This record gives sequence, C-alpha cells and structure tokens, in this order.
Amino acid sequence: MNKQLWIQRALEKGIECFEIYQSVQKEKTLTWFNGQVDTFVTSNVLGTSVRGIYEGNMANIALEDVKDDKMDEVLDGLIQQAQTITTIEKDALRKPETVKPVDNSQTWIQPDLETVKNLMKKLENDLMAYDTRIVQVASLGWQEEYSTREITNSYGIDLKDESTVQYLIASVVAQENDVVKDDYKIEVIHDLKDFDEEAFVKKLCEDTLFKLHSTSLSSRTCPVIFEKEAMRSLFSAFSGYFNGELIFKGISPIKDKLDQKIFSEQITIVDDPRNTDCLTVLNFDDEGCPTRRKVLVDHGVFTSMLHDTRSAIRMNSTSTGNGFKSGYASSVSVTPFNCCILPGEKSLEQMCQDMKEGLVITDLQGLHAGLDFVSGNFSLQCTGYWVKDGKKDHAVALITVADNFLKLMNKVVSVGNDLDWKYYSIATPSIAFTDCAISGE
Amino acid sequence: MLKQEQLEQLLTRAMQSNADFAEIFEEEGTNEGISMLNDKVESVNRNYKAGIGIRLYQGVQSVYGYSNQMDAASLQALVDDLRDALGRKQVDISVSLKEEIIENRHPVQIDPIDAPLQEKVALLQRADQAAKAVDEKIVKTQTGLSSVRQHVQISNSEGKLVRDTRIRTRLRVSAYAQQDEDMQSGFDAPGASKGLEFFEEATPESIGQEASRIALVLLEAKDCPSGKMPVVIDNGFGGVIFHEACGHALEATAVAKNQSVFAGKQGKQIASPKVTAYDDGTIPNAWGSENIDDEGNLQQRRCLIENGILKTYMIDRLNGRRMGLSSTGSSRRQSYKYEPTSRMSNTFIAAGQDSFEDMIGSIKKGLYAKKMGGGSVNPQTGEFNFAVNEGYLIENGQITIPVKGASLIGTGAEILMNIDMVGTNLERGTGMCGASSGSIPTDVGQPAIRVSSITVGGTANE
Repeated sequence: MNKQLWIQRALEKGIECFEIYQSVQKEKTLTWFNGQVDTFVTSNVLGTSVRGIYEGNMANIALEDVKDDKMDEVLDGLIQQAQTITTIEKDALRKPETVKPVDNSQTWIQPDLETVKNLMKKLENDLMAYDTRIVQVASLGWQEEYSTREITNSYGIDLKDESTVQYLIASVVAQENDVVKDDYKIEVIHDLKDFDEEAFVKKLCEDTLFKLHSTSLSSRTCPVIFEKEAMRSLFSAFSGYFNGELIFKGISPIKDKLDQKIFSEQITIVDDPRNTDCLTVLNFDDEGCPTRRKVLVDHGVFTSMLHDTRSAIRMNSTSTGNGFKSGYASSVSVTPFNCCILPGEKSLEQMCQDMKEGLVITDLQGLHAGLDFVSGNFSLQCTGYWVKDGKKDHAVALITVADNFLKLMNKVVSVGNDLDWKYYSIATPSIAFTDCAISGE
Repeated sequence: MLKQEQLEQLLTRAMQSNADFAEIFEEEGTNEGISMLNDKVESVNRNYKAGIGIRLYQGVQSVYGYSNQMDAASLQALVDDLRDALGRKQVDISVSLKEEIIENRHPVQIDPIDAPLQEKVALLQRADQAAKAVDEKIVKTQTGLSSVRQHVQISNSEGKLVRDTRIRTRLRVSAYAQQDEDMQSGFDAPGASKGLEFFEEATPESIGQEASRIALVLLEAKDCPSGKMPVVIDNGFGGVIFHEACGHALEATAVAKNQSVFAGKQGKQIASPKVTAYDDGTIPNAWGSENIDDEGNLQQRRCLIENGILKTYMIDRLNGRRMGLSSTGSSRRQSYKYEPTSRMSNTFIAAGQDSFEDMIGSIKKGLYAKKMGGGSVNPQTGEFNFAVNEGYLIENGQITIPVKGASLIGTGAEILMNIDMVGTNLERGTGMCGASSGSIPTDVGQPAIRVSSITVGGTANE
C-alpha cells in the first residue's frame, strides 16, 4: 500500500482529512492433550482500516486485500458512507502532538517449539500426578502473539509501535464420586526459564480440588467480599459508566453526576495507559493521541470521564487518549486502558477476619447477559467460599449474587491491598461490602 | 479466491508430510454496519474480508495456519510452516479436485450489501419512529442494521471442492424508557439468512415496538424474588435454556475429549420424556442455516434428543476421528481466523401438547420468564446461567406483577429432567453464540415449557 498516494488521492477527492491504520498480527499457539501435541496454529494477518472526514462526517472502511488499484473504489465508497451520516455534531481527525514514550523495556524470550513441547509434557504429567482426584488436564496451551500498529494521517501523524506477549494456560478436571469440578489458570511468561512450574501446578490443582466439596446456600442477604478476580470482572462490565460517548448519549447512569459523590469515599479510580506495572503500556491511543493519567473517581467523587476525539467534540472537551479499537477492523471507541480501583490497606485474610461470617465470591459467570448496564441491576451466577469465624470454611457453588452496581459501590466496608494487574487492562483489589442478595436453594 | 490449479498445488504440497488430510478454507466477504441514535445516522462502517485458513491432520492432531497474504510465496511458506510442524515426507500423491455443485436452499431476493444505503437507513428510521410512538416515556432509541455477505471456497486432499455464499441481515433496536430518575431499556433484534426482504415479515415497526414494550414493562417491574421455584419459560428466545443447558454439552468439541456431562450417554435417557430436540442447519433462510458447514459438508437436520433419549451429538471431522463417528455437518467458525469445530446451528425443543394456560394455572408461586437474555455454560460440569430480561410473578395460577433483575441457574442434567410440560407454540429467536471457533449466528427455539424447579437469582429475599 502506497500510503502517501492514498492520502493524496483522498484529499483530491475532497476528503478533508484521511487516516490509515495498519496492524500486523502474528500468532503461534501450541496445545497439548493426552500425551501429545493437540493443535498447532500459526498466523500472519495484515489488517488495514482507513477513515476520513467528508462534509464533517466520518466513515470507516476496513480492508484485508489492499491494492492501490482499488483506491478509487474504496475512497468513493468512503465518501458515500460519510454522506449518509446525519448527526449534527461533526467529526475530526487528530493533528500531530508530541508523544513522550514511557521507559518500559520488557524482554520476551521466545522458546523453540521443542522446549515448549517438553514443558507441556512435564506440566501435564505433574498436574495429573498431583492428586488421584485430578482426572484430566482438559486444556493445556502456550501462545505467543506479536503485533504492530501504524497510524498515518493527512495532518502528518506517523506513529508506530509493537508489542509481544507470551503466556501459558491450563485447565484441570477433578472428580470425586459423581462430583466433577474444573478450574483454569493463565500465566504471562517473559522467559520460560523463570516459570515456577511447581507453584503453578499446586495453585491450579488446589483451587480445583477445593471446589469438589462445594454446596449451594439457602437464599439470604449477607456480608460479601468480591475477591479481586470477581471484582475485576464486575467493575469491567460497568466501566462504561465513565465513557464520554455513553455519557453524551445519556445512557450512562452517572451522566449528570460530574463532581458529585457517586461511590463510597473509599473508592478512587485511576486510568493510566502509561502505568508500567501493567502488561501493556501505550504511549498513544489508536487515533495517535498521547495517553495520560486520569483520576475518574476521587474518594467517591466522580471527577472526570474518558474521551476519544469524537466524544470530546460532542462534550466540548479534549480527548483523554482513550480512543481504542477492539481490532483493526472496528471503529475507534472510548475504552478504559490500565484502569483500576486503587488498593487499600487490608489483606484478603484481614478482610475475612473482619467480616467474621459471610461469603467470598471468587468467580462470576454470565456477565455478558446477567447485568443491565442502564439500570445497574445485576444477577450473576457465582462461586466462592463461606467464611465462618473469620476463616475460609467451605466452597460454595450454584448460587447467584444480585444487587445494583451504584448501590453496591456505596456499601463498601473496606478495599483490599491485593491489586494485581496480571494480563488485564482493568484491575481491582478485593472489596468487602456490607451485604448482597444471594440466591440458592 | 484461488484457482483450482493453485489449490491442487497447495494441497499436494501440504500432503508431502506426515499429514493424512489437508483442507483449505477461503473466505471473501463484506460486513456492513449502520447505526442510528434517535433519528440521526451516527455511523456507516464497512469491512471487506479476504483470507485463507489451511489445516493438516495427522490422526487426531491438527495444525492450522491462517493469513490474508494471498501471494503464492506467502501461501507456500504457510504450508511449509505447517508441514514442518508435522514433519515433511516425500509422498507419491497428487491432489485432484472435483467441484461439487450444491443447491442453494437459502435464496436471497434483495442483497443487503448491494442495496442503496438510503434504503437501509429508511428501515432504521421506521424502527425509530415506531419505537418512539409507543409512549412518550420512550426518550431515546439506538437502532442498527448489520448485513453480511460471505463467499467461501473449501477444498481438501480427498478431492472436495465446494463453494457457498452466506447472506444475513439483522436489525436491532434498543429503546430507553424514562420515568423520573429511573431509566430502563428494552431490546429486540431479529435476523435471518435473507436479504432486505426479511423486513417485510419482521417489520422495523414491530421490532421498534417490541423493544419499547419491554422497556416500559421494566419501568413498572419490582425486584424479583430468589430461590428454587417452578418457572414457565416462554417460546422463541426462551430456547436459550436448551442451547446452554444441553446444546453445548452435545457438541463433539466437549464430548470427544470426555469433557461433557453427556459423554457416553448416547441411547440413554438424559431428559424428561416430554423433550424432543433438534439442531437443524437446513431450515430455509433461518439465521443459523447454511448450505454447507465450514468443512464443506452439507448441513443436516440432527435429532439430538427424542422423547428424552440422547440420539446424536453434533460432530465435526476432527472430533469425529476421536469418537470413531462421521461428521454430522456441524463444523463452523467465525472466519478464516478460527480453526473450525462442532457448533450448533438452529437448535430447538420440538412442540409438545401442553397448553400455556395449564402451565401457568398449575403453579401456585413461581416465575413466568417471557423474554430471556443470553447465558453461558460450563460443559464439563453442566453448570449454566442465563438472564431473564422480562419476567412476571405467577401467583395462584395467575400471571401477576412484572419483576426485574433475575437470572436462572442450574445444571443441564438436572434441568432437562425437570422439564415437565412442553407447549405447542414453537418459535425460534435470533442469537450469536461464542465459543472456541469464534462468534457465529445461531437460532435458539422452543415452545413455552414448564420447569418444575430451578434456582431463580433475584434481588428480593423474603
């Protein structure tokens, strides 16, 4: 693709400004099952998307088969799409700004496939040997992903970066009599030499075996701690509340609450794509806007929202550098990146001791369906354990937890100190709440 | 798309290895999305896709490579990567393809990709106006039209060469109702393997009105009670209960590796005798239908359960090898970026003989789940959950007040046995199903059913 040629032709056709976004994604995945390689996947995909402003309106086209001789057809289509748009608010592309890179050199050591196969074999053996009740290693895999992104526009933005990630995933099945339970674990690995295989096996097997003796609960309202993973998934599902686009559209329930107290004063929320504690650090968003740290909620008070260029124009504000794509083919939308609830002082153990009796939720299911974003109501299948006399007592499964997110975030007892980013771009510590509705038998 | 000769060369090259089977899946297509906020068009996006996925088997091992670099050198390099993974070998083989011409069971009248943009915008405007006209409490709408046209060409080392075109359209409406501080939303989004002619039967007005109706009901809804109780799940999208509680656990993906509660249960009673269920990818123009699966086999109508007895699983080629069974034409994938595996198509519980009135009348205290949302399942344990988008209390045999914020949970094996009444009014509803081979269009369906006991997760505890 001759980018300058495309830009020049776009401008000649009356497109006011024009952007080309390209990404290359390469992947290698090896999975192992029953003593041998199960699947091996390799890929190399170049994705291109172009967008442009015509008569103030923006249209997007994503392409996989990019040929310069198709340029006129694509650009004419783009103009036709833009002419169909009727919103009053106009759109813009970004002009070049200084991007100050964060010092974040991460080293990824790529193993050869034989090393990976040997590790898979050993992991499968060790997982199976851990306990006779571990009856199957249901999935075991290693994946390496490499991707680049390049943003070029007619104003002169010309930015490029790349990222690599490598991780292992395993899930095991435990069985005792007729009871079958499973669990999984994912670990990001910079260098296989540093991988603590023994700890990985122990944690996964112990977590799975613990579930074997789980019981349901009778329906009740009781004190609840959302352990960090469960809290992260719940917070992620409602993180759109801070999305400037959804606030502009009046869909976020906190649309009229800027500078007001919306959550418990124990809650402070920060979004910072430049946070080097996180797996991925981004100096600019997918529009080429430099990223920065924002405090969204300060001790319970809603202090700022997130914007991309589009939502910023609509709200008479400036982009916060949160315009990201979910893939090269998707359009840019407001997305939190490296967003977290700041940790408090107490460990999960201390929080359990303080709670004395109640439920710790370790996992939530069905988040794509069991919550209503607009009203904040949720009712979700969950698993966890019951705490008695301040200590972990027995595993609990086949129950639901239900509440309203805004009400829940005002019922905070304490915020844990166990913030752990792992491979996520949204994270929270464990949080204890006064009560939630639990449904079971 | 590659020419037959190029395909034969690539397949022959692929078989110069320890592979005993090679397959090439090619895809070209266009996805288009138009969305409106109220009466204004907000975005018009197009995605032109073109790529290839190549798969080699050695016994039950598979290697898969995908790319959109379609030049000869890149494709040969991709095949060589895959050959290296299995081990290269000189084999005296030359693949010769013979094209199969298939009947198009899902003809389309108005191609949604080629139709003028203004014609498509007009559909959304009709939906918006109808939704707003329902009540002045409807303060906002979001509407969208998705159109897909996918050409596929599938060839393999056994000489198969087959082509198909899949066309789908779907119109979605979210309506927002406001009363004082309270805002509630309703949603409806039917789709079909049809062109724009689909909206002559599923009119944009009816879709807008349905979304508004749900939003208005939710404004009046009280908190849903919790605990185990009998539930009547209405027809149409209510079939998501079977999709989650049973369908996924009948896919060979889970069964072949003994990772399903229903593994080894063929011929056994796994559901109440009232339950007969199908997965039918041949229904003309249905949302989850297609002429051939993504391995090039003709789609089929599969009887999964007959009077409670497990008859067949849904099987793809690779898992069929593990199970010693033939493919049932169930192999599907989102795109060339996914290795295919066994998936559902249009899955539904067949009509029974019980009347809706008898179902409601038989319950002293329970829940009527009129509209279901999505759900999920762990096939290994059978534990599933799904959301009730519109529910009502049943008190002393009568449907009474609307309730909100409910979900239903249970285990598949238990719930299938607890279906004790099956109605006559079979309907299907449109959905997207996510699993290891990506997000694919599937219909769910059922007549109204009564489940004698299921855990309802609500917010009101007594």
